[in-house]
Amino acid sequence: MHNAAVIRFFRQIFRLLIETDFTMKYKELIDRLSEKTGHPKVKTREMLEDTVQVISEHLSQGKGVSVPDLGTFGTKVNTEKKVYNPHYEAFLMVPPKRTVEFNPSSKLKEEVKYLEQTDE
Amino acid sequence: MSEKITFKELVELIAKQSQQSQSSANSFIHELVQIIESGLKSSGSVSISGFGKFELRWMNERTGTHPQTGDEITIPGQNKVVFKPYKALREEVNVPFAGLKSRIIREEVDEAIPPASGTAENNGKNETIDDLIIERDNPHFVPPKKQTAETNGNKPVAAKLPDESKLAEEVQKSGNYKWAYAAAVMIALIAFILLFFMMQRDSDTAETPTTVQMEQVTPPIAEETTPADDPDPGIQTEFETQSFTVEPGQSLWTIAENQLGNPYLWPVLYNLNRDLLTNPNQLPAASELDVPSISDPENLNEFEREQVALGYFSLYEWNRENNPEEARYFLWAVGVFSPELLAQPPSEADPDDLAFARNR
Repeated sequence: MHNAAVIRFFRQIFRLLIETDFTMKYKELIDRLSEKTGHPKVKTREMLEDTVQVISEHLSQGKGVSVPDLGTFGTKVNTEKKVYNPHYEAFLMVPPKRTVEFNPSSKLKEEVKYLEQTDE
Repeated sequence: MSEKITFKELVELIAKQSQQSQSSANSFIHELVQIIESGLKSSGSVSISGFGKFELRWMNERTGTHPQTGDEITIPGQNKVVFKPYKALREEVNVPFAGLKSRIIREEVDEAIPPASGTAENNGKNETIDDLIIERDNPHFVPPKKQTAETNGNKPVAAKLPDESKLAEEVQKSGNYKWAYAAAVMIALIAFILLFFMMQRDSDTAETPTTVQMEQVTPPIAEETTPADDPDPGIQTEFETQSFTVEPGQSLWTIAENQLGNPYLWPVLYNLNRDLLTNPNQLPAASELDVPSISDPENLNEFEREQVALGYFSLYEWNRENNPEEARYFLWAVGVFSPELLAQPPSEADPDDLAFARNR
Protein backbone atom coordinates (compact mmCIF):
# COMPACT_ATOMS: atom_id res chain seq x y z
CA MET A 1 0.00 0.00 0.00
CA HIS A 2 2.72 2.39 1.01
CA ASN A 3 4.91 1.31 -1.87
CA ALA A 4 2.19 1.94 -4.42
CA ALA A 5 1.60 5.39 -2.96
CA VAL A 6 5.30 6.21 -3.06
CA ILE A 7 5.62 5.09 -6.66
CA ARG A 8 2.60 7.09 -7.71
CA PHE A 9 3.94 10.13 -5.86
CA PHE A 10 7.30 10.05 -7.58
CA ARG A 11 5.76 9.37 -10.95
CA GLN A 12 3.68 12.49 -10.58
CA ILE A 13 6.70 14.55 -9.63
CA PHE A 14 8.63 13.26 -12.62
CA ARG A 15 5.75 14.02 -14.89
CA LEU A 16 5.67 17.54 -13.48
CA LEU A 17 9.40 17.94 -14.05
CA ILE A 18 9.26 16.70 -17.60
CA GLU A 19 6.12 18.50 -18.64
CA THR A 20 6.97 21.84 -17.11
CA ASP A 21 6.94 24.10 -20.09
CA PHE A 22 8.06 27.66 -20.07
CA THR A 23 5.15 29.06 -21.98
CA MET A 24 4.52 32.73 -21.65
CA LYS A 25 1.35 32.62 -19.66
CA TYR A 26 -1.72 34.77 -20.06
CA LYS A 27 -0.94 36.68 -16.88
CA GLU A 28 2.59 37.50 -17.95
CA LEU A 29 1.26 38.64 -21.30
CA ILE A 30 -1.17 41.02 -19.65
CA ASP A 31 1.50 42.32 -17.29
CA ARG A 32 3.79 43.16 -20.16
CA LEU A 33 0.99 44.64 -22.24
CA SER A 34 -0.15 46.95 -19.48
CA GLU A 35 3.45 48.01 -18.93
CA LYS A 36 3.86 48.94 -22.57
CA THR A 37 0.48 50.58 -23.20
CA GLY A 38 0.30 52.28 -19.81
CA HIS A 39 -3.25 51.09 -19.19
CA PRO A 40 -4.12 49.46 -15.88
CA LYS A 41 -4.08 45.67 -15.89
CA VAL A 42 -7.84 45.25 -15.57
CA LYS A 43 -8.43 47.43 -18.59
CA THR A 44 -5.74 45.67 -20.58
CA ARG A 45 -7.33 42.35 -19.78
CA GLU A 46 -10.72 43.58 -20.92
CA MET A 47 -9.27 44.90 -24.14
CA LEU A 48 -7.49 41.63 -24.83
CA GLU A 49 -10.69 39.73 -24.17
CA ASP A 50 -12.57 42.03 -26.55
CA THR A 51 -9.92 41.52 -29.22
CA VAL A 52 -10.16 37.77 -28.84
CA GLN A 53 -13.94 37.98 -28.96
CA VAL A 54 -14.00 40.05 -32.13
CA ILE A 55 -11.55 37.75 -33.88
CA SER A 56 -13.30 34.56 -32.83
CA GLU A 57 -16.71 35.97 -33.78
CA HIS A 58 -15.47 36.59 -37.28
CA LEU A 59 -13.87 33.20 -37.46
CA SER A 60 -17.11 31.56 -36.39
CA GLN A 61 -18.83 33.32 -39.29
CA GLY A 62 -16.24 31.84 -41.59
CA LYS A 63 -14.46 35.12 -42.21
CA GLY A 64 -10.73 35.53 -42.15
CA VAL A 65 -8.92 38.08 -40.00
CA SER A 66 -5.52 39.44 -40.85
CA VAL A 67 -3.35 41.09 -38.24
CA PRO A 68 -0.34 42.95 -39.60
CA ASP A 69 3.07 41.56 -38.64
CA LEU A 70 1.45 38.58 -36.93
CA GLY A 71 -0.37 36.73 -39.66
CA THR A 72 -3.75 35.74 -40.96
CA PHE A 73 -6.37 33.71 -39.18
CA GLY A 74 -8.78 31.83 -41.35
CA THR A 75 -11.05 28.82 -41.36
CA LYS A 76 -10.82 25.62 -43.31
CA VAL A 77 -13.41 22.91 -43.76
CA ASN A 78 -12.16 19.35 -43.58
CA THR A 79 -14.53 17.24 -45.64
CA GLU A 80 -16.09 14.03 -44.41
CA LYS A 81 -13.73 11.11 -44.72
CA LYS A 82 -13.40 7.42 -44.09
CA VAL A 83 -10.78 6.30 -41.60
CA TYR A 84 -9.81 2.84 -40.44
CA ASN A 85 -9.93 2.45 -36.68
CA PRO A 86 -7.89 -0.53 -35.46
CA HIS A 87 -9.66 -0.54 -32.09
CA TYR A 88 -13.10 -1.19 -33.53
CA GLU A 89 -11.58 -3.10 -36.45
CA ALA A 90 -13.89 -1.17 -38.70
CA PHE A 91 -14.04 1.95 -40.80
CA LEU A 92 -15.28 5.12 -39.26
CA MET A 93 -17.05 7.90 -41.07
CA VAL A 94 -15.49 11.03 -39.64
CA PRO A 95 -17.85 14.01 -39.96
CA PRO A 96 -16.79 17.25 -41.65
CA LYS A 97 -15.13 19.79 -39.40
CA ARG A 98 -14.28 23.43 -39.63
CA THR A 99 -10.96 24.34 -38.09
CA VAL A 100 -8.87 27.43 -37.55
CA GLU A 101 -5.95 28.07 -39.81
CA PHE A 102 -3.12 30.42 -39.02
CA ASN A 103 -0.64 31.67 -41.55
CA PRO A 104 2.19 33.57 -39.91
CA SER A 105 3.26 36.73 -41.68
CA SER A 106 6.49 36.59 -43.59
CA LYS A 107 8.05 39.02 -41.13
CA LEU A 108 7.28 36.79 -38.16
CA LYS A 109 8.50 33.73 -40.05
CA GLU A 110 11.82 35.35 -40.81
CA GLU A 111 12.25 36.70 -37.29
CA VAL A 112 11.84 33.30 -35.73
CA LYS A 113 13.30 31.01 -38.38
CA TYR A 114 16.82 30.39 -37.12
CA LEU A 115 16.30 31.04 -33.43
CA GLU A 116 17.38 27.74 -31.92
CA GLN A 117 19.60 26.55 -34.70
CA THR A 118 22.46 26.40 -32.20
CA ASP A 119 20.62 23.64 -30.38
CA GLU A 120 21.18 21.14 -33.15
CA MET B 1 -12.02 32.16 -46.10
CA SER B 2 -14.21 33.78 -48.67
CA GLU B 3 -14.20 37.09 -46.91
CA LYS B 4 -11.32 38.62 -45.12
CA ILE B 5 -11.53 41.48 -42.72
CA THR B 6 -8.94 44.22 -43.01
CA PHE B 7 -6.91 45.54 -40.16
CA LYS B 8 -8.73 48.86 -40.28
CA GLU B 9 -12.10 47.21 -39.81
CA LEU B 10 -10.72 45.06 -37.04
CA VAL B 11 -9.42 48.12 -35.20
CA GLU B 12 -12.78 49.85 -35.58
CA LEU B 13 -14.63 46.85 -34.22
CA ILE B 14 -12.32 46.46 -31.27
CA ALA B 15 -12.52 50.16 -30.47
CA LYS B 16 -16.30 49.95 -30.58
CA GLN B 17 -16.44 46.83 -28.46
CA SER B 18 -14.15 48.09 -25.72
CA GLN B 19 -15.27 51.74 -26.01
CA GLN B 20 -11.81 53.04 -26.75
CA SER B 21 -10.45 55.43 -29.30
CA GLN B 22 -9.29 53.88 -32.52
CA SER B 23 -5.75 55.04 -32.05
CA SER B 24 -5.46 53.33 -28.68
CA ALA B 25 -6.95 50.13 -30.11
CA ASN B 26 -4.47 50.35 -32.95
CA SER B 27 -1.48 50.79 -30.67
CA PHE B 28 -2.83 48.07 -28.41
CA ILE B 29 -2.80 45.52 -31.20
CA HIS B 30 0.64 46.57 -32.35
CA GLU B 31 1.99 46.13 -28.82
CA LEU B 32 0.22 42.78 -28.56
CA VAL B 33 1.84 41.58 -31.75
CA GLN B 34 5.25 42.73 -30.60
CA ILE B 35 4.85 40.99 -27.26
CA ILE B 36 3.74 37.78 -28.93
CA GLU B 37 6.80 37.96 -31.14
CA SER B 38 9.19 38.57 -28.26
CA GLY B 39 7.47 35.87 -26.22
CA LEU B 40 7.95 33.40 -29.04
CA LYS B 41 11.61 34.33 -29.18
CA SER B 42 12.24 34.10 -25.44
CA SER B 43 10.13 31.17 -24.33
CA GLY B 44 9.03 29.46 -27.52
CA SER B 45 5.30 29.71 -26.93
CA VAL B 46 2.69 32.28 -25.99
CA SER B 47 -0.71 31.38 -24.64
CA ILE B 48 -3.80 33.58 -24.88
CA SER B 49 -6.62 32.40 -22.70
CA GLY B 50 -9.83 31.52 -24.51
CA PHE B 51 -8.11 31.85 -27.86
CA GLY B 52 -5.11 29.67 -28.48
CA LYS B 53 -1.42 29.13 -28.18
CA PHE B 54 1.32 30.29 -30.51
CA GLU B 55 4.22 27.87 -30.62
CA LEU B 56 7.54 27.43 -32.32
CA ARG B 57 8.13 24.08 -33.92
CA TRP B 58 11.57 23.03 -35.07
CA MET B 59 11.59 21.45 -38.52
CA ASN B 60 14.59 19.25 -39.17
CA GLU B 61 16.79 19.61 -42.19
CA ARG B 62 15.52 17.65 -45.17
CA THR B 63 15.86 17.33 -48.90
CA GLY B 64 13.39 18.71 -51.36
CA THR B 65 13.25 19.58 -55.01
CA HIS B 66 13.52 23.02 -56.45
CA PRO B 67 10.08 23.94 -57.77
CA GLN B 68 11.34 25.35 -61.07
CA THR B 69 14.55 23.57 -61.94
CA GLY B 70 13.66 20.25 -60.30
CA ASP B 71 17.12 20.02 -58.72
CA GLU B 72 17.54 18.40 -55.38
CA ILE B 73 18.22 20.88 -52.62
CA THR B 74 18.58 20.54 -48.87
CA ILE B 75 16.19 22.63 -46.85
CA PRO B 76 17.98 23.64 -43.64
CA GLY B 77 16.28 23.09 -40.29
CA GLN B 78 14.16 26.01 -39.25
CA ASN B 79 11.44 27.13 -36.87
CA LYS B 80 7.84 27.27 -37.89
CA VAL B 81 5.15 29.24 -36.09
CA VAL B 82 2.16 27.08 -35.21
CA PHE B 83 -1.14 28.26 -33.78
CA LYS B 84 -3.13 25.81 -31.68
CA PRO B 85 -6.69 26.99 -31.05
CA TYR B 86 -8.12 26.23 -27.63
CA LYS B 87 -11.34 24.35 -27.08
CA ALA B 88 -13.62 27.40 -26.86
CA LEU B 89 -12.41 28.72 -30.21
CA ARG B 90 -12.46 25.29 -31.83
CA GLU B 91 -16.06 24.75 -30.77
CA GLU B 92 -17.14 28.19 -31.85
CA VAL B 93 -15.60 27.75 -35.28
CA ASN B 94 -17.04 24.27 -35.67
CA VAL B 95 -20.61 25.42 -34.96
CA PRO B 96 -22.00 24.47 -38.42
CA PHE B 97 -20.88 20.87 -37.90
CA ALA B 98 -21.35 20.68 -34.15
CA GLY B 99 -23.00 17.57 -32.80
CA LEU B 100 -21.87 15.33 -35.64
CA LYS B 101 -20.19 12.18 -34.51
CA SER B 102 -18.15 9.65 -36.40
CA ARG B 103 -20.05 6.47 -37.04
CA ILE B 104 -18.81 2.96 -37.54
CA ILE B 105 -19.38 1.26 -40.87
CA ARG B 106 -19.19 -2.44 -40.20
CA GLU B 107 -20.84 -4.03 -43.20
CA GLU B 108 -18.82 -2.27 -45.83
CA VAL B 109 -15.50 -3.20 -44.30
CA ASP B 110 -14.41 -5.68 -46.94
CA GLU B 111 -15.80 -3.80 -49.89
CA ALA B 112 -14.66 -0.46 -48.64
CA ILE B 113 -11.00 -1.22 -48.30
CA PRO B 114 -9.86 -0.18 -51.78
CA PRO B 115 -11.77 3.13 -51.97
CA ALA B 116 -10.95 3.99 -48.38
CA SER B 117 -7.25 3.41 -48.84
CA GLY B 118 -7.53 5.41 -52.02
CA THR B 119 -9.00 8.37 -50.20
CA ALA B 120 -6.42 7.98 -47.51
CA GLU B 121 -3.71 8.15 -50.13
CA ASN B 122 -5.32 11.18 -51.64
CA ASN B 123 -5.44 12.87 -48.30
CA GLY B 124 -1.82 11.98 -47.76
CA LYS B 125 -0.96 13.44 -51.13
CA ASN B 126 -2.82 16.61 -50.38
CA GLU B 127 -1.00 16.97 -47.12
CA THR B 128 2.39 16.42 -48.65
CA ILE B 129 1.57 18.87 -51.39
CA ASP B 130 0.57 21.43 -48.79
CA ASP B 131 3.78 20.76 -46.94
CA LEU B 132 5.77 21.14 -50.11
CA ILE B 133 4.13 24.44 -50.86
CA ILE B 134 5.04 25.69 -47.43
CA GLU B 135 8.54 24.38 -47.76
CA ARG B 136 9.04 25.92 -51.10
CA ASP B 137 8.53 29.36 -49.68
CA ASN B 138 11.69 28.99 -47.74
CA PRO B 139 14.32 28.02 -50.32
CA HIS B 140 13.68 31.33 -52.01
CA PHE B 141 14.91 33.03 -48.94
CA VAL B 142 17.72 30.65 -48.16
CA PRO B 143 19.83 30.22 -51.28
CA PRO B 144 20.66 33.92 -51.67
CA LYS B 145 22.28 33.89 -48.26
CA LYS B 146 24.38 30.92 -49.21
CA GLN B 147 25.43 32.55 -52.46
CA THR B 148 26.51 35.73 -50.74
CA ALA B 149 28.47 33.68 -48.28
CA GLU B 150 30.22 31.82 -51.05
CA THR B 151 31.01 34.96 -52.99
CA ASN B 152 32.63 36.34 -49.87
CA GLY B 153 34.93 33.35 -50.01
CA ASN B 154 33.96 32.24 -46.52
CA LYS B 155 32.09 29.22 -45.32
CA PRO B 156 28.39 29.85 -44.86
CA VAL B 157 28.77 29.18 -41.17
CA ALA B 158 31.22 32.01 -40.79
CA ALA B 159 28.85 34.43 -42.47
CA LYS B 160 26.15 33.58 -39.99
CA LEU B 161 28.37 33.76 -36.97
CA PRO B 162 27.45 37.21 -35.58
CA ASP B 163 23.77 36.26 -35.60
CA GLU B 164 24.55 33.03 -33.87
CA SER B 165 26.54 34.64 -31.09
CA LYS B 166 23.62 36.92 -30.36
CA LEU B 167 21.31 33.98 -30.46
CA ALA B 168 23.59 32.02 -28.21
CA GLU B 169 23.41 34.80 -25.65
CA GLU B 170 19.65 34.74 -25.81
CA VAL B 171 19.59 31.02 -25.51
CA GLN B 172 21.90 31.18 -22.54
CA LYS B 173 19.69 33.77 -20.90
CA SER B 174 16.61 31.70 -21.41
CA GLY B 175 18.59 28.71 -20.20
CA ASN B 176 19.38 30.53 -16.96
CA TYR B 177 15.72 31.21 -16.41
CA LYS B 178 14.99 27.58 -17.00
CA TRP B 179 17.60 26.53 -14.46
CA ALA B 180 16.11 28.89 -11.92
CA TYR B 181 12.76 27.25 -12.47
CA ALA B 182 14.32 23.80 -12.23
CA ALA B 183 16.06 24.72 -8.96
CA ALA B 184 12.78 25.93 -7.48
CA VAL B 185 11.10 22.73 -8.52
CA MET B 186 13.90 20.67 -6.98
CA ILE B 187 13.62 22.51 -3.67
CA ALA B 188 9.88 21.96 -3.64
CA LEU B 189 10.51 18.32 -4.41
CA ILE B 190 12.90 17.91 -1.49
CA ALA B 191 10.42 19.61 0.82
CA PHE B 192 7.73 17.26 -0.40
CA ILE B 193 9.88 14.22 0.18
CA LEU B 194 10.73 15.36 3.72
CA LEU B 195 7.07 15.96 4.47
CA PHE B 196 6.19 12.60 3.05
CA PHE B 197 8.74 10.78 5.19
CA MET B 198 7.63 12.67 8.28
CA MET B 199 4.09 11.56 7.66
CA GLN B 200 5.19 8.03 7.05
CA ARG B 201 7.16 8.00 10.31
CA ASP B 202 4.08 9.28 12.14
CA SER B 203 1.97 6.49 10.75
CA ASP B 204 4.70 3.99 11.64
CA THR B 205 4.80 5.14 15.24
CA ALA B 206 1.04 4.94 15.31
CA GLU B 207 1.18 1.39 14.08
CA THR B 208 3.89 0.07 16.36
CA PRO B 209 1.98 0.08 19.69
CA THR B 210 -0.63 -2.32 18.34
CA THR B 211 2.03 -4.76 17.18
CA VAL B 212 3.70 -4.50 20.57
CA GLN B 213 0.40 -5.35 22.20
CA MET B 214 0.01 -8.31 19.92
CA GLU B 215 3.41 -9.57 20.89
CA GLN B 216 2.68 -9.04 24.56
CA VAL B 217 -0.55 -10.89 24.37
CA THR B 218 0.47 -13.90 22.39
CA PRO B 219 3.49 -15.11 24.39
CA PRO B 220 1.57 -15.69 27.69
CA ILE B 221 -0.78 -18.04 25.88
CA ALA B 222 2.18 -19.95 24.54
CA GLU B 223 3.66 -20.11 28.04
CA GLU B 224 0.39 -21.32 29.49
CA THR B 225 0.03 -24.00 26.92
CA THR B 226 3.58 -25.35 27.21
CA PRO B 227 3.55 -26.49 30.85
CA ALA B 228 0.26 -28.34 30.53
CA ASP B 229 0.28 -29.81 27.06
CA ASP B 230 -2.39 -32.41 27.61
CA PRO B 231 -5.21 -30.63 29.45
CA ASP B 232 -5.21 -27.52 27.28
CA PRO B 233 -5.91 -29.20 23.97
CA GLY B 234 -8.45 -31.27 25.87
CA ILE B 235 -10.33 -28.13 26.84
CA GLN B 236 -9.86 -26.52 23.52
CA THR B 237 -11.27 -29.30 21.37
CA GLU B 238 -14.72 -27.93 22.12
CA PHE B 239 -16.13 -24.51 22.78
CA GLU B 240 -17.86 -23.73 26.02
CA THR B 241 -21.23 -22.97 24.59
CA GLN B 242 -24.28 -21.22 25.90
CA SER B 243 -27.71 -21.41 24.40
CA PHE B 244 -29.13 -18.28 22.88
CA THR B 245 -32.65 -17.68 21.68
CA VAL B 246 -32.90 -15.79 18.41
CA GLU B 247 -35.16 -12.79 18.40
CA PRO B 248 -36.96 -11.56 15.30
CA GLY B 249 -34.77 -9.28 13.17
CA GLN B 250 -31.51 -10.81 14.27
CA SER B 251 -28.98 -12.37 11.94
CA LEU B 252 -25.89 -14.46 12.52
CA TRP B 253 -23.88 -11.34 11.77
CA THR B 254 -25.55 -9.24 14.51
CA ILE B 255 -25.42 -12.10 17.00
CA ALA B 256 -21.74 -12.55 16.36
CA GLU B 257 -21.26 -8.81 16.80
CA ASN B 258 -23.14 -8.67 20.10
CA GLN B 259 -22.21 -12.01 21.67
CA LEU B 260 -18.75 -12.68 20.29
CA GLY B 261 -17.57 -9.12 19.84
CA ASN B 262 -16.62 -9.40 16.19
CA PRO B 263 -19.16 -9.77 13.39
CA TYR B 264 -16.63 -11.51 11.16
CA LEU B 265 -16.71 -14.52 13.48
CA TRP B 266 -20.28 -15.43 12.49
CA PRO B 267 -19.23 -18.54 10.51
CA VAL B 268 -18.41 -20.16 13.88
CA LEU B 269 -22.07 -19.88 14.78
CA TYR B 270 -23.07 -21.42 11.48
CA ASN B 271 -20.60 -24.27 11.89
CA LEU B 272 -21.76 -25.05 15.42
CA ASN B 273 -25.43 -24.99 14.50
CA ARG B 274 -25.39 -26.66 11.15
CA ASP B 275 -28.08 -29.12 12.18
CA LEU B 276 -30.44 -26.17 12.74
CA LEU B 277 -29.43 -24.00 9.81
CA THR B 278 -29.86 -25.24 6.28
CA ASN B 279 -29.24 -21.82 4.79
CA PRO B 280 -26.72 -19.52 6.51
CA ASN B 281 -28.58 -16.48 5.20
CA GLN B 282 -31.87 -17.47 6.81
CA LEU B 283 -32.21 -17.65 10.57
CA PRO B 284 -35.54 -18.83 11.96
CA ALA B 285 -36.71 -16.72 14.90
CA ALA B 286 -36.95 -18.29 18.37
CA SER B 287 -34.50 -21.05 17.45
CA GLU B 288 -31.98 -22.04 20.12
CA LEU B 289 -28.42 -21.46 19.01
CA ASP B 290 -25.23 -22.68 20.65
CA VAL B 291 -23.05 -19.63 21.10
CA PRO B 292 -19.40 -20.21 22.02
CA SER B 293 -17.56 -17.99 24.46
CA ILE B 294 -14.59 -16.33 22.93
CA SER B 295 -12.24 -14.65 25.39
CA ASP B 296 -10.66 -12.00 23.20
CA PRO B 297 -12.24 -11.44 19.79
CA GLU B 298 -9.29 -9.29 18.68
CA ASN B 299 -6.66 -11.95 19.41
CA LEU B 300 -7.99 -15.40 18.69
CA ASN B 301 -6.01 -18.42 19.82
CA GLU B 302 -5.17 -21.19 17.42
CA PHE B 303 -8.18 -23.33 18.17
CA GLU B 304 -10.58 -20.44 17.69
CA ARG B 305 -8.88 -19.45 14.48
CA GLU B 306 -9.21 -22.95 13.17
CA GLN B 307 -12.89 -23.05 14.13
CA VAL B 308 -13.57 -19.77 12.34
CA ALA B 309 -11.70 -21.04 9.32
CA LEU B 310 -13.71 -24.27 9.40
CA GLY B 311 -16.86 -22.17 9.58
CA TYR B 312 -15.78 -20.24 6.51
CA PHE B 313 -14.96 -23.50 4.79
CA SER B 314 -18.43 -24.91 5.42
CA LEU B 315 -19.82 -21.63 4.11
CA TYR B 316 -17.63 -22.09 1.05
CA GLU B 317 -19.10 -25.53 0.50
CA TRP B 318 -22.62 -24.22 0.90
CA ASN B 319 -21.98 -21.33 -1.47
CA ARG B 320 -20.35 -23.57 -4.04
CA GLU B 321 -23.66 -25.32 -4.41
CA ASN B 322 -25.95 -22.35 -4.14
CA ASN B 323 -23.93 -19.27 -5.08
CA PRO B 324 -20.92 -20.47 -7.07
CA GLU B 325 -19.79 -17.01 -8.19
CA GLU B 326 -19.03 -15.73 -4.71
CA ALA B 327 -17.88 -19.01 -3.16
CA ARG B 328 -14.20 -18.35 -3.73
CA TYR B 329 -14.27 -15.30 -1.42
CA PHE B 330 -15.23 -17.57 1.46
CA LEU B 331 -12.33 -19.82 0.59
CA TRP B 332 -10.09 -16.79 0.67
CA ALA B 333 -11.43 -15.94 4.15
CA VAL B 334 -10.43 -19.45 5.25
CA GLY B 335 -6.84 -18.56 4.40
CA VAL B 336 -7.08 -15.29 6.29
CA PHE B 337 -7.92 -17.07 9.55
CA SER B 338 -5.92 -20.23 9.07
CA PRO B 339 -3.40 -20.55 6.23
CA GLU B 340 -2.68 -24.13 7.34
CA LEU B 341 -6.28 -25.11 6.71
CA LEU B 342 -6.16 -23.52 3.28
CA ALA B 343 -2.99 -25.46 2.53
CA GLN B 344 -4.72 -28.72 3.45
CA PRO B 345 -8.46 -28.30 2.88
CA PRO B 346 -10.59 -30.76 4.93
CA SER B 347 -12.51 -31.80 1.84
CA GLU B 348 -12.22 -31.21 -1.85
CA ALA B 349 -12.18 -27.66 -3.12
CA ASP B 350 -12.29 -26.37 -6.64
CA PRO B 351 -8.68 -25.93 -7.86
CA ASP B 352 -9.50 -22.57 -9.47
CA ASP B 353 -10.98 -21.27 -6.22
CA LEU B 354 -7.97 -22.56 -4.31
CA ALA B 355 -5.59 -20.80 -6.64
CA PHE B 356 -7.59 -17.59 -6.27
CA ALA B 357 -7.66 -17.86 -2.46
CA ARG B 358 -3.94 -18.60 -2.22
CA ASN B 359 -2.78 -15.90 -4.57
CA ARG B 360 -4.99 -13.10 -3.45
